Amino acid sequence: MVNVMAKGITKIYKSRRKEVVALDNVNIDIHSGESFGILGPSGAGKTTFMRIIAGLDIPTQGELYFNDELVATSNKLVVPPEDRNIGMVFQTWALYPNMTAYDNIAFPLRSLRMSKDEERKRINEVSEILGIAHVLNHYPRELSGGQQQRVALARALVKNPSILLLDEPFSNLDARIRDSARALVRRIQNELKITTITVSHDPADIFSIAERAGVIVHGKLVQVDKPSAIYSSPVTVEVARLIGDLVELNGRVEESNNKIYAVVDDFTFPINKVAANNVRLGIRLEDLKISDEVSLGDEWVFVGRARVKVSSYSSGLFRVTVVPPSNDNTEIVVMVDRPFDVGREVNLFVKSGKVLVFP
Amino acid sequence: MRIQGLLMAIPTIFFSFLLLYLVIWNLYFSFTNWSLLNPHPSFVGFQTYASLLYMEYFSISLSHSILLSVGTVVFGNLLGLLFASLLYFLGNEKMRSIYLSLLIYPLSISMAANSLIWLWLFNIHIGINWLLRLLHLPVPLWLSSPSTEFPSLMVVVIWAYAGLSLIFYLAAFMGVDKSLIEAARIDRANPLRILFRVLLPNSMNGFIVSSALLFLFSFRIFSPPYLLSGGPTNIFLQTSVVYMYYLFTTEYFAQASAVATIITAIATAVVIPYALYGIKRWMKHE
Amino acid sequence: MSSKPGRVNPTVKAAIHQLVIIIFVVIWLIPIYAMVINGLKSNVAVYTTPVLIPPSSPTIEPFQAVWSSLSRPLLNSLILVLPVAFIATFLGSMAAYFFYMLSNSFSRVSSFVSNFLFSLISLATFIPYQATLIPLTKLIADMGLLNTYWGLAFAFFIFYMPTGALLMSIFITAIPPRIIEAARLDRGSDWRIFYKLVFPLSLPGFISTLIFNIIETWNNFFIPLMLTTTPNMRLIPVTVQSFTGGYATLYNETFAAAFIASMVPLGIFIFLGRYFIRGLIALGTGGKGV
Ligand SMILES: Nc1ncnc2c1ncn2[C@@H]1O[C@H](COP(=O)(O)OP(=O)(O)OP(=O)(O)O)[C@@H](O)[C@H]1O
Ligand SMILES: [Mg+2]
Repeated sequence: MVNVMAKGITKIYKSRRKEVVALDNVNIDIHSGESFGILGPSGAGKTTFMRIIAGLDIPTQGELYFNDELVATSNKLVVPPEDRNIGMVFQTWALYPNMTAYDNIAFPLRSLRMSKDEERKRINEVSEILGIAHVLNHYPRELSGGQQQRVALARALVKNPSILLLDEPFSNLDARIRDSARALVRRIQNELKITTITVSHDPADIFSIAERAGVIVHGKLVQVDKPSAIYSSPVTVEVARLIGDLVELNGRVEESNNKIYAVVDDFTFPINKVAANNVRLGIRLEDLKISDEVSLGDEWVFVGRARVKVSSYSSGLFRVTVVPPSNDNTEIVVMVDRPFDVGREVNLFVKSGKVLVFP
Repeated sequence: MRIQGLLMAIPTIFFSFLLLYLVIWNLYFSFTNWSLLNPHPSFVGFQTYASLLYMEYFSISLSHSILLSVGTVVFGNLLGLLFASLLYFLGNEKMRSIYLSLLIYPLSISMAANSLIWLWLFNIHIGINWLLRLLHLPVPLWLSSPSTEFPSLMVVVIWAYAGLSLIFYLAAFMGVDKSLIEAARIDRANPLRILFRVLLPNSMNGFIVSSALLFLFSFRIFSPPYLLSGGPTNIFLQTSVVYMYYLFTTEYFAQASAVATIITAIATAVVIPYALYGIKRWMKHE
Repeated sequence: MSSKPGRVNPTVKAAIHQLVIIIFVVIWLIPIYAMVINGLKSNVAVYTTPVLIPPSSPTIEPFQAVWSSLSRPLLNSLILVLPVAFIATFLGSMAAYFFYMLSNSFSRVSSFVSNFLFSLISLATFIPYQATLIPLTKLIADMGLLNTYWGLAFAFFIFYMPTGALLMSIFITAIPPRIIEAARLDRGSDWRIFYKLVFPLSLPGFISTLIFNIIETWNNFFIPLMLTTTPNMRLIPVTVQSFTGGYATLYNETFAAAFIASMVPLGIFIFLGRYFIRGLIALGTGGKGV
């Protein structure tokens, strides 16, 4: 399998006096057989990075290596896309509209000049795994979104690629079938051990598929780590926001009893020592709790009294918005397992050591 | 793999280069004195071009060509624009496409056949003058008078090519965002206002394309001047292309080549910018 | 909604709108109307009745009179034009695919080459082809192909194969680029990508280009005028010309001859007009609409 290494990759699109820096000095080493995720907001340069790896675009600067072999360098394609043995699922699937699902999947095999029997065997095999065996003689327009996605995946997998590129593979799917699709990709990747790069702006994709992930913001690769590590210690508030829901607050740093606190209106959040006087706080929803109790044990730290402003419901949990008694505009969202009446006062807790602090 | 793609393009590249060869051949012989009297041409530099300048026919025919092209561009655009606006504001899709066909069908008929029919229509006794007389309208002498001969040619060419302009304006109008038009309609803007405020400003492409094609097509027109005049020597209808043909038939080969080179140069000056900054850009755009 | 004072009643407006269009349409139809009705007039009637008055006793006599001299040219045109237009369009499409790949590759050289070739095919499409009269005639004569189908076909290819390439270049851009990229990643060879994907996916564009080329080749007057001299090799537009004498001398068969010459392109226009229009539009912009 193949290891992918990007060295100082920069991509600048020039169009009519305007320059867009789509990628800015990206350095990354994606290990052979690894499942790597790329997370970033819309327009960050994720697709561009993918296209450069596939050879469908060239870097303005920098070098790209597959297994230490130079495949692209500044404004030059060293190895053309057809010789990179890449399976790619495009953001829009890009199925061949004039061919049946079977012929779509067979297309890459015809290029390999294998016997008809062998071809049929491989196509049946991969379509069994992906559950599309019964729709092989349908045209793409006759398939559901999920089936199209799986045909695209089958077409990418059937040729035993050394690198699998998935660009927003689940964004066009119903939420209902997204999870099973993720599981499927994960399982196949696990079994075949193909170096896989999945691009998405949805952290759920990254958590379910990627062993390691990189975050691209404005063309810069700002953090590379395990998804869980990015989740628990994001380098910036943008990254924190990208990879999960977050309550964001502005606090004043104060010290008392040798402990450091960030004060937000009536609330005091325990934090680690920082140099600044004012900080931005980020707290994951699951690290906040409200209760009528005065204490919830060592794990939870009391923050202050709060008033319930809004109470709503979402997927199995109650979503409660609370505010400090003195300021109706500092809203904090807390997920709880039972409803709270609007207007009541409750105690707000935060999990100890879980308050993210950004300068 | 690139090799296979190149092989696929070889026939077209071959014939395109052959065209280039023909153009360069003309250029080369335009610098000689080859003619019936000089069967063994020798190199004379710009002398042939210089001699053309002294020939009345040359400048007259060139000015005819340019007048014809410019006239076609101006009147073709005006008529095309008028037709396109009339058809655009027609609510009925089906009627629109029928009227469109009826206005552009001349594009599909051979100019030779067209010219022959117009010869009859220009007959001052039984042609369209018969109708004009019935309607008490002024009756021009058409091809029978030197002063109206060239305008008659223009009528034929504009009749034939106004459809080109119509197509491109209509296409440009149809490309304008429908919601813009609807917004204007809701504001109770009248069609003329919509035309000038919304449609025209968004139809720059239509204007460029229609002008470029009207120019190029009318610049190379041959059978109407050739057939309406009854031969290549009628000075009132002679265009550059006809004049070149005349030089060829009288075996002034070098001079014919020089005229051909000038014609090619003028066409090239329009074609290349149009191809590179027009068509190619628009292709990328989509 | 009550109509405000000063506003023209919408029905009246619509009627005027229609009337203006119809006036223009009628004017535009005069020549074809004249062609049809006068083709059915007898010798005497053509000279004595106004061109715009239909014949009192229609006769097909003029058609019979011209048929013997037009049947062979008509056949020649049919034999020549359809295959020539098809081959020119098909080979042109292949080149269009190559140009597409070329302009989407990244080397500086290829973008220069692609601009050069694109300019060249545009020039071949739009050049006043009469300008090539001497060298073209000489070239065909040197090859010994004057007065042959091959010579005519060869000359037509010089102009109409690039036209095919130009039009198809424009139609190909309508294919979603991701599809062609996917095929490249699937290691499709250029030929396979072309005939499995690009050709079928641009088939409507191909038909438009083909029809455009058929009509243009059919109506080409000058090239056959130069390259054929024997009556047996004449193509139809040139033959029609022989029904007029010098200096506007009129013959009654003109109309019937013009009608026969226009039959094929007009028929194509009537039945496949929308393809022809799409070809014309592509010649300009590749624009959508209409
Ligand atoms: N061919 C191009 N020409 C000019 N600019 C481009 C081109 N392709 C991408 N860009 C620009 O580069 C930037 C990055 O685009 P890219 O498609 O990589 O974003 P992305 O992260 O994939 O976004 P999304 O999540 O919306 O798919 C954007 O600002 C985009 O406008
Ligand atoms: Mg993208």
